[in-house]
Amino acid sequence: MNSQDSKIIYVESCPICGDGLCRVRICVSNQMVTGFILCDECEAMWTDPFMQERIPTISEETEPQCPNCEQSIWGKNTHWANIGEVCLLGWFDRVQMVDE
Amino acid sequence: MVQKQRQDAAINALRMIPTKWAVIIVVAIIGYVLLQPQVNKWFGWSLPSVASLVGDEKPTSKTKQEKPNSVEKTSTPKSDSKQSQAAVEKKSDQDDSRSKTPTAQPRVSDQQVGAEPPSEKFHGILVEIGRNRFESPAGLVYGPGSEEGHRLKHIERHLEDQPKRPGLHGVFDGDMHAFLVAIDDAYSRAKSGGKGTKKIPDQGSTIYEASFAKPIGFLGGQEGGRKRQPPLKKLRVVVRGNSVITAFPFQ
Repeated sequence: MNSQDSKIIYVESCPICGDGLCRVRICVSNQMVTGFILCDECEAMWTDPFMQERIPTISEETEPQCPNCEQSIWGKNTHWANIGEVCLLGWFDRVQMVDE
Repeated sequence: MVQKQRQDAAINALRMIPTKWAVIIVVAIIGYVLLQPQVNKWFGWSLPSVASLVGDEKPTSKTKQEKPNSVEKTSTPKSDSKQSQAAVEKKSDQDDSRSKTPTAQPRVSDQQVGAEPPSEKFHGILVEIGRNRFESPAGLVYGPGSEEGHRLKHIERHLEDQPKRPGLHGVFDGDMHAFLVAIDDAYSRAKSGGKGTKKIPDQGSTIYEASFAKPIGFLGGQEGGRKRQPPLKKLRVVVRGNSVITAFPFQ
């Protein structure tokens, strides 16, 4: 197990629900990596760690989806980003890390 | 078949010995039959019964069965009866083939007399409405989703503190059943615009908040630890449609 895997990488506490952490979620689909910010409590989503632009949920009936491939954000192609992936996205300066 | 042969052999053996000795043996057998249970009781011995010697019954199973019966008679509280039932079931697992016979089953069900029938509802409140989907009395649906795979698993995280988790972590003070009841209560009151409640529409979801008269939990997480875990009296429920996303006590 990679030591990075035992770390929570997050941007800030969720401004919507107050209890969740806004974390970097990765979706790998069709050889394309998509990163976005997801609250691990209320599932609010943002396009990037600047958290200016929300990703809306399509409808009340559907689960939040990856903005690129439109698969579930909890699907098998998704995971929490590790440090390397955060660096590749150019978001390292915007995140904090803590041991899980 | 084997038993019949044994009985025939015993009768033939009796025919071969003198009448006087036969009478003495028969009297001794009758005496043993009458005194064996009493001797076992007085001295704590486990002399086998005649039936078990003949092969009708195994001696050890009877002595094992006597213990649960004595617990059954003395246990009146519900928890005790459950324990005794568990003890009987454990015994049954350990016991030989006798315990697996249908005659052993009524003994187990005897233990349930006076106990409430097992609830068919999940966590005592939820009704299954589909595959892995459960509905509460207030109409909230708990289904698959979240990082944990199911919303119930997700909200279960709020039954315990996570001291290392950054920021706030609302912890409900109670079990899952009480938590689900509180969520239903908060949702119902907030949905109908009750006093001390809020309804906040968000993009695709709705956040309901409701106050309680007494503390329902405490503030956990790193921030809660810094603040010495103050008690919390409010509950926040995030839903999408009528599906629960999350719920937790908050300040």
